[in-house]
Amino acid sequence: MKKTRTMLLLFGLLAFALTGCGAGETSDSSSTSSDGKQLVWGDTTFNAENGEPDVNPHNDNSGWACIRYGIGETLFRFSDSMELEPWLAQSYEAVDELTWRIVLRDGVCFSSGRNLDGEAVKQCLEALVAQHARAAGDLRIAEISADGQTVTIRTEEPVPALLHYLSDPYGCIIDMEAGVTEDGIVSGTGPYRAVSLTTDTSLELVKNETYWNGTPKLDAITVRTISDGDTLTMALQAGEIDVAYGMPYASYPLFENENYRFASCTTSRAFFASMNFESEILRDPAVRKAIAMGIDKESFVETLLDGNGSAAAGVYPDSFAFGGDSVTTETYDPQGAMALLEEAGWVDMDGDGIREKDGATLTLRWLTYPSRQELPLLAESAQATLGEIGFDVQINSTADHNRLRADSGAWDIYASAMVTAPTGDPEYFFTYRCLDSSGSNDGHYHSDALETLAQELSRTFDTDRRAALAVEMQQILLDDNAYVFCSHLRMSMIAKSSVSGLTAHPCDYYEITAELDIAA
Amino acid sequence: MRNDIFRRLLQLIPILLGITFLSFAMMHLAGSDAIAQQADASGVALSPEVMAARRAELGLDQPFLVQYVRWLGGFLTGDLGISYVSGKDVFATFVSKLPATLLLTGVSIALTVLLSIPLGILAAVRQNRFADYLIRFFSFAGNSMPNFFVALLLLYAFAVCIPIFPVISDGLSLRSVALPALTLAIAMSSKYLRQVRAAVLDELSRDYVTGARARGIRFSVTLYKSVLRSCMTTILTLLSLSIGSLLGGTAIVESIFLWDGVGKLAVDAIQMRDYPMIQAYVVWMAVIYVAVNLVTDLSYRLLDPRIRLGGERP
Repeated sequence: MKKTRTMLLLFGLLAFALTGCGAGETSDSSSTSSDGKQLVWGDTTFNAENGEPDVNPHNDNSGWACIRYGIGETLFRFSDSMELEPWLAQSYEAVDELTWRIVLRDGVCFSSGRNLDGEAVKQCLEALVAQHARAAGDLRIAEISADGQTVTIRTEEPVPALLHYLSDPYGCIIDMEAGVTEDGIVSGTGPYRAVSLTTDTSLELVKNETYWNGTPKLDAITVRTISDGDTLTMALQAGEIDVAYGMPYASYPLFENENYRFASCTTSRAFFASMNFESEILRDPAVRKAIAMGIDKESFVETLLDGNGSAAAGVYPDSFAFGGDSVTTETYDPQGAMALLEEAGWVDMDGDGIREKDGATLTLRWLTYPSRQELPLLAESAQATLGEIGFDVQINSTADHNRLRADSGAWDIYASAMVTAPTGDPEYFFTYRCLDSSGSNDGHYHSDALETLAQELSRTFDTDRRAALAVEMQQILLDDNAYVFCSHLRMSMIAKSSVSGLTAHPCDYYEITAELDIAA
Repeated sequence: MRNDIFRRLLQLIPILLGITFLSFAMMHLAGSDAIAQQADASGVALSPEVMAARRAELGLDQPFLVQYVRWLGGFLTGDLGISYVSGKDVFATFVSKLPATLLLTGVSIALTVLLSIPLGILAAVRQNRFADYLIRFFSFAGNSMPNFFVALLLLYAFAVCIPIFPVISDGLSLRSVALPALTLAIAMSSKYLRQVRAAVLDELSRDYVTGARARGIRFSVTLYKSVLRSCMTTILTLLSLSIGSLLGGTAIVESIFLWDGVGKLAVDAIQMRDYPMIQAYVVWMAVIYVAVNLVTDLSYRLLDPRIRLGGERP
């Protein structure tokens, strides 16, 4: 009896400890306390897995965290229509094909207290190209010189997109004299200053009192890494976070009411299929065209993605001057695709629903990967719609796709996701994907016309001409049906209705700004 | 006993060599590597030259055996290397996650014991009565629900609807550990209380229980002093297996509750092909299983005089 009582007592104590200590506390994160206005930001993407272990822009993809969370700023930035505009720079001049002279804005200082001048930019960019292989490859800097507020950059070869590359998150200007802490914290010129960071867990920011471009409205911000989408959903429902980035599409309806607001924008992250020109059946232009006509992009976006994307025509979304409807492509037309295949000799001889020609069946090995939730959905959608017009689509969705895509005998179509214009410039996509010299031209696509235009693009400094070339080059890809661009990601941030100054941007870089605020 | 401990520690050497080699080989057979996985995760294309340079920097361009021997050399000198993904020291990162894992393990096991032993005994004593049926029903339900589902239910009920506990863990506090521990305890208790019930029923059918009752000894005395003690070896075996498993982390529960333990660290490392971090985890798992088994065996001696005196083992 005595032991029974002891056990009951233990139970009671534990229950008291677990519940009592939480009683009476509400979990509302907002917003005004004795420490001033505070905001909690929940994010699924701020983690080492995405190459963002910290906020040091010279480390992997950490520049994204540096610029998104208002710590660092670049010399130039993108407008809402993805055009370049000065930011830390005041003006620039292309002295010749290899030399750029950039005049810096006066009155800007780092959160460390140091003034921004040419020497500080020189130190930062030299450290960047020494540590960041992608930046070094993009910028191809031969020499940097500084004189007061002027910095002069000389490149090894003409780099017409240099200013765009300098606007990549890796181009955040940080104070190298203040250095990088062991935790990866840097001093930038943004509205907020990082004070503590635990990789994959949280980042604490405080107002940069010396910010040059207005007064930040919040006193402190906590960025929490929340990798699970359901947890992010419940954290916003419970009021423990004020803004959520990376919410699962399925949770959106929970927040479509007056208590929350959405900030959404279409980005250049494209979901697209690349044709393998080593594949026997895909060498047939009719088959490629039938595939382009047989994928129902609108239904994929509206039904499977719940409208959280936009059907794509070409490489870039319509927020770009050279994107959206500036190119033309095949529309969903299953009847037309069937007629086309019949005409090309692809006929279902044995009545099994799969077309054949000269003993070969119309089988497509569709390679993709599961780490982007949209890609397996796209594969299933294509399997269904292409199946209706006589294709046998065999899906291989595997994390080992990088090894397989290098083997052109192992697949016919490779569907992947890519940010096609991370720097707002069109050259990037073609350089990496479509040319003879491209490292990721896995389908071995070749077009003489495209190669010629790519050469011209690499030497063209005029922005309008670059845009025109980008349109022409996209149209070549689309006319050859070498790629099928299915959708562009619609990025959404969800915030409590008390949050203001939150704006989604097509480049997905500028999130925490001096304008971000929360009502008490 | 001292020889036994020494023998177990010696056994650890081939176990560690074998298991680290196997895990290294399996990760290579799985394809891809940390550089390619990161490029996928970010969606930013890298040129082949940049990827090759980064692979060379991490030694991923070397043959598999060279990579393993290099890792083994570091391990033998106490250097577990640098994470391919975060660029941080593997040992420091791993150790920083252990307090959370140890706290979650401790509280989960305590809750499991507090739930499963009294309920298991109650079900056995009230065999085929309402209490027994009720307990068995909840045991069945608890076994049927996957951990992530229980976790989300608890989170929704006690953090969103009735905000007693936080959704986002606020560090190593009892308030934060309550729901993840309860999630794990529900799953484990549902399984164990049936084992406890079966073990107690088996003991209750023994002659010494009938004899004790015939001599007028109170049932509760027989139950707690004899029956329960006899059942302890079974319970201890179950608990030791659970402790080993919990110390290895519980990735899904950790991920849902933002509990900063080794389970999620390991799963993320596997996904990103972060070989040094995976190897650290494998070493940890090998050591804890050997240690937990050793401690369990030693505790059998204390609990069961038959083993202490050289008789049968349970």
